[in-house]
Amino acid sequence: MEQKFDYKYKDPEHGHYRELFYSYDKDGNYKKQVRFHDDSDKIFIEQFWDVQNNRIQEAKEQVLSGIKSPVYYYMKKNLMDLMTLSSQATISLWRVKRHLKPGIFKRLSEKTLAKYAGAFNITIEELQNIS
Amino acid sequence: MEQSTIMLDYTHRQSGHCESGTLSNLFNYFGMDLSEPMAFGIGNGLYFSYIPFLKVQYAPMISFRNIPTTIIRRGAKRLGADAVIIKKFKTPEESMDALDRNLEKGIPTGLQVGIFNLPFFPPEYRMHYNMHNMVIYGREGNTYYVSDTVLEKPQTLSYADLQRVRWVKGAFSPNGKMYWINRVDKNADLKKAVAEGIAKTVYEMIKIPFPLIGTKGIRFLAKDLRKWPKKHGKEKASFYLGQILRMAEEVGSGGAGFRFIYGAFLKEAGEKFNHPGLSEASVLMGTAANKWREFSYIGARNCKSRSEPTEDYGMLADMLIEISYMEEDVFKKLENIKI
Repeated sequence: MEQKFDYKYKDPEHGHYRELFYSYDKDGNYKKQVRFHDDSDKIFIEQFWDVQNNRIQEAKEQVLSGIKSPVYYYMKKNLMDLMTLSSQATISLWRVKRHLKPGIFKRLSEKTLAKYAGAFNITIEELQNIS
Repeated sequence: MEQSTIMLDYTHRQSGHCESGTLSNLFNYFGMDLSEPMAFGIGNGLYFSYIPFLKVQYAPMISFRNIPTTIIRRGAKRLGADAVIIKKFKTPEESMDALDRNLEKGIPTGLQVGIFNLPFFPPEYRMHYNMHNMVIYGREGNTYYVSDTVLEKPQTLSYADLQRVRWVKGAFSPNGKMYWINRVDKNADLKKAVAEGIAKTVYEMIKIPFPLIGTKGIRFLAKDLRKWPKKHGKEKASFYLGQILRMAEEVGSGGAGFRFIYGAFLKEAGEKFNHPGLSEASVLMGTAANKWREFSYIGARNCKSRSEPTEDYGMLADMLIEISYMEEDVFKKLENIKI
């Protein structure tokens, strides 16, 4: 289950996904075109995923050095914010905020852990030990 | 669970935008030819809003399109289609049963889904966005046939996956929302529908007395864009800029933040009704859309060299202001012509 999504935009051919684009030329015609993204578009897609990946990496380091709990890492990894996580795990916002602290995370019950694991689509063991 | 096979004769056509494409395909299924730009224009797809205090993925929220399901609601209503029902459910099982019943009756059914857990979706678009539209047009055992207009080919989805994406929680959660068309009115007054659609878009783009919406919103964004490098630092300014461009060029916009689709709509309507005013407006819209493209080409350079911007943010802001006046011209022109 680890590394479920490969966020990084890396395939020069844009995977196998071509999209429909419209364009307007000098003669006043609108054209439909099924194509890959052009290079200037790829720049900001790449930028977006770079920033996200940096954030995920940072979160991982914070968890490994004991500043934050694994919930924080998995939250960043699933591109969630606190609100999204709180509604997807059905745990209230202030409790989620508390659970980001490692000390409090260690004392969590199986039931709460299972809720988080369900929201992140992982097992409880994976939630407790990040690698 | 019954193992019947249902496969409706539904034509999958790829489109620029998920919602207008869905509506156009559904009309097409019932034998009324409606192109994607027409569906987009009649259903008021075009919009602009900039909400700096609301952050989406760590950047201010910018939207080039109207609120989701607007196109379907307004488009179907203006074209006089019978019984477009937008329905929410209490439990997942109920919603899946309703979908199966619809398929048995031979009705292709549109769904609102979240894209984060959609297995076939392009990985670079994966985010928590719960307002995507797609159509289910067949079932074989536990596999559903899906027409997702963002992709070239129809896809399949398992029962469990479908239930998961229909019942994703979070902002704007779909709660199993689905919609369908029972009958279309083939003699619908297209001219009236177009006139209504244009009038509403004109109102939304230049008349709403609120600075963050419409062409005024573009100018507000330009004002903020100028300040970003000083206020947030160069790295963050470049990320914010990247987000504007991503909203404009990505997430199924057909290019230039839906401006090309709208221009195509004006042109098609102009040709259909032989109306010179609409055709002139389509030329202006196309020029404005090309300016958006130019903005994104130049802006992308700043996204590449993140901490050392090669282009001046002031210049980009000036460009946005120019675009906003270009668009204002289009809508002022549309306001004054009679269709």
